[in-house]
Amino acid sequence: MEGIIQQATKPSAEPGAEPGKAQRTLVLAGRYGTPAVLVLLLIGFTAASPQAFMTGQNLLNILNQSATLAIVAGGLTLPLVAGKFDLSFASVVSLSGILAVGFLERSSLPWFAAILLALAAAAIIGLVNGLLVAHLRINPIVATLGTSTMLLGINYAYSNGTPITLEPGPFTDIARASVLGIPVPVILTAVVLGGLWVALNFTLLGHHMQAVGANQVAARMAGVRVARITMAAFVICGLCAGLAGVVLSARIGSGQVTAGDGYLLNAFAAAFLGASVLRDGDFHILGTLVGVLIVTVTFNGLSLLGAQSYVQFLFQGGILVAATALSSTSRRLLLASARR
Amino acid sequence: MTAATTGPGDPVPPGQAAPLVQVRGLAKSYGAIRALRGVDVSFRRGEIHGLVGANGAGKSTLINCLAGLERPDAGDILVDGEITHVHGPADAARLGLAFIHQELNLVNSFTGAQNIMLGSHRGSMVALRRFSGVPRAVLDAARRVGIDFPLDVPVSELTVHQQWLVTIARALVEDRALIAMDEPTGSLDAQEAATLLKVARELAASGVAVVFISHRLDEVTAVCDRVTAFKDGSVALSLPRAEITREALVRVIVGQEVTPGAGATALEATEHRRVVLDLREVRRGRSVREVSLTLHEGEVVGIAGLVGSGRTELARLIFGADRPDSGTMVLDGKPYRPRSIPQAITQGVAYVPEERRSEALFLTHSVEENLHITVWDRWRVSRWLPLIRSRSSHAAANRTCRTLGIKTADARRPVVGLSGGNQQKVVMGRWLATNPKILILDEPTRGVDVGARADIYERIREAGESGSAVLVISSEFEELLECNRVLVMAEGRIVGELTGDEITVPDMLHRCYA
Repeated sequence: MEGIIQQATKPSAEPGAEPGKAQRTLVLAGRYGTPAVLVLLLIGFTAASPQAFMTGQNLLNILNQSATLAIVAGGLTLPLVAGKFDLSFASVVSLSGILAVGFLERSSLPWFAAILLALAAAAIIGLVNGLLVAHLRINPIVATLGTSTMLLGINYAYSNGTPITLEPGPFTDIARASVLGIPVPVILTAVVLGGLWVALNFTLLGHHMQAVGANQVAARMAGVRVARITMAAFVICGLCAGLAGVVLSARIGSGQVTAGDGYLLNAFAAAFLGASVLRDGDFHILGTLVGVLIVTVTFNGLSLLGAQSYVQFLFQGGILVAATALSSTSRRLLLASARR
Repeated sequence: MTAATTGPGDPVPPGQAAPLVQVRGLAKSYGAIRALRGVDVSFRRGEIHGLVGANGAGKSTLINCLAGLERPDAGDILVDGEITHVHGPADAARLGLAFIHQELNLVNSFTGAQNIMLGSHRGSMVALRRFSGVPRAVLDAARRVGIDFPLDVPVSELTVHQQWLVTIARALVEDRALIAMDEPTGSLDAQEAATLLKVARELAASGVAVVFISHRLDEVTAVCDRVTAFKDGSVALSLPRAEITREALVRVIVGQEVTPGAGATALEATEHRRVVLDLREVRRGRSVREVSLTLHEGEVVGIAGLVGSGRTELARLIFGADRPDSGTMVLDGKPYRPRSIPQAITQGVAYVPEERRSEALFLTHSVEENLHITVWDRWRVSRWLPLIRSRSSHAAANRTCRTLGIKTADARRPVVGLSGGNQQKVVMGRWLATNPKILILDEPTRGVDVGARADIYERIREAGESGSAVLVISSEFEELLECNRVLVMAEGRIVGELTGDEITVPDMLHRCYA
C-alpha cells in the first residue's frame, strides 16, 4: 500500500552522485516549482483576459469555488499522510448531501440537526473504512472501493435516483450567505484547513500519523498505536467529506447521487500536486491548498477564456504529471545529496 | 598455526584446469569499515569450498560482490580466466552463478513451484510459460533437496524451513556452474541439513563449484574439499581437505590474541541488587527454547550469539512484539505479559532494533521527530489542550543532540543525512528519554564507525549507572567485554554465562560453536 503512494511521489533512493549546481537547481525547482506554477497560471490568465480574471469579484469567486474541494482534499491529506488511500470520500460527499437535504425535506428536522446527522453518518463511514484497513488488514484501495460502491447503492436507495430539492432557507445560507463580504464556505474552509494544519503539525496525533506514513514498522516498534492512528485518519477524512457534501448540497439546493463524483480525481490531483510543495514529496495541508488553487484557477481561467472541455482535461492532466515528476525528481536528488 | 596464510591466488598444481571463479585482491569498504581487504580465493569445478569466519569477517560481502549485489572497490573477479564485471543478479545468472543468500527472498503470494521457476532464466521473456501446477523441472529440483510438502500452495503458508528448501530448490532448477550457499542450514533441522549436504556433494560430483558458508563447523569439516577462513576482511587460512580439522578452524576464527576483560567488572554483590526482569523457561517456536535469565537494576548484560541463535527473537518477546508460547516473565516482582508494544513501553521496556533503517528510523523526517516519537506528550501545552509546543520541543531536541553527541547542524535536519553512528544515537536517544527500566539494544554498533562505537558504549554505561537494566545483543564479541555479565546464546538456548574477568572473546566464541 505504502509502496503505491511512494511510487507516486517518493522514488526509491538510489545512491547517486554528488549533486552539482544543476542538480541543486532542480531540487529548488522541485520545492518551489508547484507554487511557481500557480503564480504563472495567475499571471497567464491575467494577461489573457485582464478584464475578467484579475478582478476582486472573480478572485473571491475562485476561493468560493475551491471551498468544497479544499475541504475534501484537506481531509484526504490525512490518510495519505498515514500512507493509506481513501477512494470512498466522493461517495461520502454525495451521501451527506442527500442525507442532509432528505432529513430537512422528508423528515422535517431542523437544519442543524440535519447537518449533524449527515456529519455523523460520514464519520461512521470513515470509522468503517478505518476498521477494515487497520483491523481486518484489507488493502485500503480495495476496502474503500468496496465501501464507496456500497455507498452508491445506499445513495440510490435513499434518493430513488432522483435529486431531492429544497427551498432556500437557513440551510442554503451555509453556501450562499456572506459574513463581512466573505462567503461562508470560504470561512469554513479556512477553519477546517487551519484545524487540520494544527492537528497534523502540533499534536501527538499528527506526529504519529506522519510517523506511520513514513515507516509503519518503525512506528510500531516505537510504540505508536498504528491501528488507532489509521482509524483516526479515515474518520477525519470522512468527516471532511461529509462537511463538503453539506456545503455542496446547500449551494446547488439539492441532494444528488452524482454530486460528489467530480471530487475523486480533483482531490487526488490537488493532494499529489501539493506533495511537491516545499516538502519534497510529503503530503501536507499547505501543499494541498496550493494544489486545490491550481486545479480551481485552471478551471476558472480556462472557462473565462471560453476553452472547450477537452482543453481543460489536457491542461489539468498535464500540470499534474509535470508537477509530480518535478517533485519525485527533487526527492531523489535530495536523498542522494543527503547520503554523502 | 604455522602455514597459515596463502599467497595471492592459490598455486595451481600443474595439470589442473584454471579455476571457474578466481577472485584477486578484492576490497570493499562501507564508510570507515573495511569489509574486505584484498581477498584472494579460487572456486573450482567439482569442489565444495567452505568459507568460515566470525560474523563480519567478510564472507557475505565476498558473496554479494560475486552476485553483483555490491560493487567491489578494488580487485578482479575472473570467470574461466577472464576478468568479468558482475553488474547485477541478472549478470550473475547469465554467468551460471547461483546464490542462496542469508535472508529468504521469496514472493510470498507465489506457490513454491512458481517461486522455484523464478530461478529459471531460460527462454524468451514472452515465450508462453505454465504458471499453474508443478512443472517437471521443478519436481526434479524439489526431489533433489528432499521436498515432501505440496508445491502448489503459496509459500506464505509454508514453515520457515520449508521456505528455505524452496529457496535452495530455486538455485537448482537450472544447470549451474557455481552455487554459493550462505548459511543454508541455519533454519534446518538435523535431517534436513543432512539432505542438503548430500545435495551439495552430488552437485560437486556433477562438476559444479559449490561454495558453502556455515557457522556449523561440523558440517564444514564433513563436507568441504577446501576451507578458507576469514578474519577481519582477510583470508587468514586456506586448508585442503586432508588438513581440515575443527580445532584448526576454531583457532583461526577465535584468534590467538588473548583479550582480557578490559573494562569489564562484575557488579559487586550482584545478588543483592534488585531483580528487574526474571524469565523462566520462555519458549517461542524453534527460535527461543526454554530461556531463563535474570536482569538486575543497573546491570549491563551482553548476549553473545551468532546470527540465527534466537537473540532478536528473545528481545522481541520481552518488548511485547511477539508472545511466548510458554514460560513466565516477571517484571519488578509482578507477572509480565505484554500483549502489545505500547504495553511493554508503559511498563518501562525499550528496544533498539537490529534493523535501523527499516525498523527504527523515519528516514525523511527530522532528527527532532525521530528523537521525540516516544515522548511527544512531554511538550503538550496542557492536559486539556493537546497541542505540542513546537519551540520547546525543538530546543530540547537540540540539547539532546549536544548531550548525546549527535552531529547535526540542527535537530530539524532530516535524519537521512546523518552517519550510521549518529542515526543510531538518535534511536538510542528516543529510548533514553523514556528513562526505561529495561533497555535492550540489538546490534547497537552495526554499520557504525569506530569513533561512534565508543560513544555508544559510553551511553550504554551511563544508562546502566542511572539504574536501567541494559541488555546488549551483539555479534561483535570484542564489544561485549564492556558488559558486567555475558550470556552466550546458541540455537535458541542460553548455553553459557560469563562474569567479570571470565569474559573473553575466545571463550564466547568457543561456547557459540560448542
